[in-house]
Amino acid sequence: MLIDQLLSAFALYGLPVLFGALLIGAVGIPMPASIMLLAAGSFVAQGDLSLWWVLALASIAAILGDNLGYCIGRCGGRRLVLSVTKRIGGEARLLRAEEWARRWGWAGIFFSRWLVTPFGPWVNLASGLGLYSWPRFLFLVVTGEVLWVALYVVLGKIFSDRVLALSEFLGDLTWAVVGLVVAVWLGRKLLRYVSQRRVSPNGNAVHVT
Amino acid sequence: MKINGWRFGLVAALFLVAVLVTSLFTIRVVRHASRLRARVDEPVQAWMSVPYIARSHRVPPSLLFQAIGVQPGPPPDRRPIREIARAQGRPVEELISQLNEAIRHARQGSPIATPGMPLEQGPTP
Repeated sequence: MLIDQLLSAFALYGLPVLFGALLIGAVGIPMPASIMLLAAGSFVAQGDLSLWWVLALASIAAILGDNLGYCIGRCGGRRLVLSVTKRIGGEARLLRAEEWARRWGWAGIFFSRWLVTPFGPWVNLASGLGLYSWPRFLFLVVTGEVLWVALYVVLGKIFSDRVLALSEFLGDLTWAVVGLVVAVWLGRKLLRYVSQRRVSPNGNAVHVT
Repeated sequence: MKINGWRFGLVAALFLVAVLVTSLFTIRVVRHASRLRARVDEPVQAWMSVPYIARSHRVPPSLLFQAIGVQPGPPPDRRPIREIARAQGRPVEELISQLNEAIRHARQGSPIATPGMPLEQGPTP
């Protein structure tokens, strides 16, 4: 229903709606950002919107939203972050994002912009909390978001008559990649455990670093 | 990090769940890819404009405009059908069903059953 209402508003009022949705979505409020970018590509193909305006405004909105998330983490501290994120997952998700940010560093920030996007807002908060270098964060966010926006808008333009089917395809592809990342991470954990067990087969408990 | 027997079991279970979820989504991705290639019709939704629906279903937009009682452009009316329904004071479901009917008729090559209401003027340029 939210998707339907937002897409109707986007079709009616154009770029300000896209800008607002991407900005809010990057901060962490659930928004159908991907399908809106695909729809924007379709509107470009139909001659309703300018490609360059869409690319510029959508990228700026996403980058601003990411920096807002980073700022909340960096300036507000853990207590503020937890109060802000209480309704959208809170501490559990934040801990996972911190683990992700620690483990993957720059790659975590870059790939969560366009490949494993569900992690994006949480990585912003975790990067701010972990005092990750802001110039480096900004560089990764700009390159990742521009890539995400360009990829989705151009795909929406190419498949301009099949926005829903394309959105379902890309949505499931994103979750398949997220599942694969989690499976690889857990698989490595298991392998390390098994190799430790071979070293000390008699112990009830083993240490894995 | 300390991992004992039950933790190993938990990690192994989570690993299996992750593999299962990844496999399920991969199957769905393959299905969606074949739908994309086959150009399967998209269901008409309230956010879509008439030109988009016509493009998606490969039928002339003028036939769809006529079916819901809207004067076709120029300029083409880009309003979502939710907005057209609101302007006409009709439920959006009624317009969707008329559009589906018009698409069906257009594909069969038979004349469209008109809803029997006067044409609404399109947006002014």
